[in-house]
Amino acid sequence: MTEQSPSRRVVHGAASVVVALCASIFLLFLVAPIAELVTSAGARGVQQLGTDGELRRALGLTALTASAATILGVLGGTPVAYLLARHEFRGRAIIAALVDLPLLIPHPVAGIALLLVLGRDSAVGGSLLSMGIRVAGSTLGIVCAMLFVSAPLYVSAARESFARVDLRYEAVARTLGDPPWRAFRRVTLPLSLRGLVAAAVVMWARAVSEFGAIVVLTYNPKVLSVLSYDRFTSFGLPQALPVAAALVLLSLIPLIILRALRYERGLDV
Amino acid sequence: MIELRALSARVGAFELHDISFAVPAGQYGVVIGPAGSGKTTLLEAIAGVLPLRSGTVMLGGADATMLPPERRSLGFVYQHGYLFPHLSVEENVAYGAASAESAREVTARISVEHLRGRMVRSLSGGERQLVAIARALATRPKILLLDEPFSALDPRRRVAVRREVRALHREWGMTVLQVTHDFTEAGLLGDLAILLDGGRVLQWGAPDIVFRHPASPYIADFLGAENVLAGTVKVLADFAPDWVEGAPPELSRGHRAIEFTTGSLTLYTVGDAADGAAYAVIRADEIVLSAEPGATSARNRFRGAITEIATLGALTRVTVEVDGTPLVAALTTRSVGELGLKMGTEVWASFKALGVHLC
Repeated sequence: MTEQSPSRRVVHGAASVVVALCASIFLLFLVAPIAELVTSAGARGVQQLGTDGELRRALGLTALTASAATILGVLGGTPVAYLLARHEFRGRAIIAALVDLPLLIPHPVAGIALLLVLGRDSAVGGSLLSMGIRVAGSTLGIVCAMLFVSAPLYVSAARESFARVDLRYEAVARTLGDPPWRAFRRVTLPLSLRGLVAAAVVMWARAVSEFGAIVVLTYNPKVLSVLSYDRFTSFGLPQALPVAAALVLLSLIPLIILRALRYERGLDV
Repeated sequence: MIELRALSARVGAFELHDISFAVPAGQYGVVIGPAGSGKTTLLEAIAGVLPLRSGTVMLGGADATMLPPERRSLGFVYQHGYLFPHLSVEENVAYGAASAESAREVTARISVEHLRGRMVRSLSGGERQLVAIARALATRPKILLLDEPFSALDPRRRVAVRREVRALHREWGMTVLQVTHDFTEAGLLGDLAILLDGGRVLQWGAPDIVFRHPASPYIADFLGAENVLAGTVKVLADFAPDWVEGAPPELSRGHRAIEFTTGSLTLYTVGDAADGAAYAVIRADEIVLSAEPGATSARNRFRGAITEIATLGALTRVTVEVDGTPLVAALTTRSVGELGLKMGTEVWASFKALGVHLC
């Protein structure tokens, strides 16, 4: 091992200090607002759940619609993710890009796009309305907005999860007598399940925190993100704080689940 | 029976080209090739897990080209086993088993009973290979495809499992195709040897014929033939020369008496070669070394000095330089001691005309 000159040691030491400082400021920037919100209003938010009916309803509605969107995302997104992970076909890159598209456009724009397709004046929205199904301005509209903006995250993560399972496991299952569907159910699905659950949790978390698309498609009934915005613009920061804190606490649930999945023995998430 | 007709398949940039060979029903075929020659890809194409670009796969006499893997009645063992990690050893063996009894029988015969309750993660590489073999056999396949199935086993276990698989192959009348890069294993197991390199079949046939009569100098070198000499053929006579009398006809491969000149050496052989440039292949175990010329029926006899002695366990390779041409002979290490062979010792190297193969 070669010995460093004193001047070089000083330069290396100074560089380490600068890097550590930059990293600390960056982490502080990410954590400080959320920590401040939770410490200053977290307890009040939990307390207010007992007295504030609108907050309770918004919390329940947020959890319910995010869950519904996640279930729909899993049902529709899993085959798409599997197809993209496992099969070479013409147009695969285009389909992958289309699936990712909602992630790239501003969310209010996503809401406007949804309104164009599902609004009462659109062909689809009008037809649904004639059947008694209202999308814009309803709970269903919230689910649609959440699904639209968060499903690409699920598809992307699920695709990665399938791709990590070596194709040869399926090949062996096939030679052992399984048709494709049974090989998927008995081998690929169990081996990628943890990754799929993690992908669903991420999708749920993204759906819970969605605001831009929901506020365009369905302002009422209010989910937590819309309610916190509404309280902020109508009554100011003190009234918005407990709602915002409740939203943060709700968002922590998936984080805890993800950590638990990661620490559990067995396959990596 | 496994029969491939002009099979081509592609994986990424690698391609199998125009593969044709047939392993008759109940026989044990061995595919030999270096790493990256396409051995695993070939088995995957036969198993139906890799789509073909062209060609036909005949299994058991029927066209299986369009059949999905689950309907090909075959077992497939990958080198790394690919045991299902979410299942126990017992569950892996039972996965596609023809019956519980079948699973129990192969578990006992492959000697993995003691592993039954273990999870796959806790197994060593060798144990995984054993369980993978048991899992494939438990389905009672008519055809068994083995991809370097014994590579992670210790030598003692390898011999035992190899023997058991060979016994099951005979008892059940399975057609087996095994991939290996081990020539000894190929010679021990195979009724048929298929040489694969660069995605092409170089030569196939009975192992003895393939090893003794390589179709080209490249194949000879590939098979580890120690003496591959470039030179010129001159046909001496178009009739059977006296030194082939009584030799099995399949070994004589033609009856022309041939003189082969390489450098300052002149060898005599028999065969069907014509006048012109060629290569002579002499396997090291064909060359006999002796201190005195003695009485021998060998048609080729040269005197030279030993320039290298390489001992590997019971076998020793001795290089004798004859007028600038090195000839490598394989002897038992004991013989080397008994003959008192040392570097620089002058010896006689002799080999029969039938020990020289021209290609």
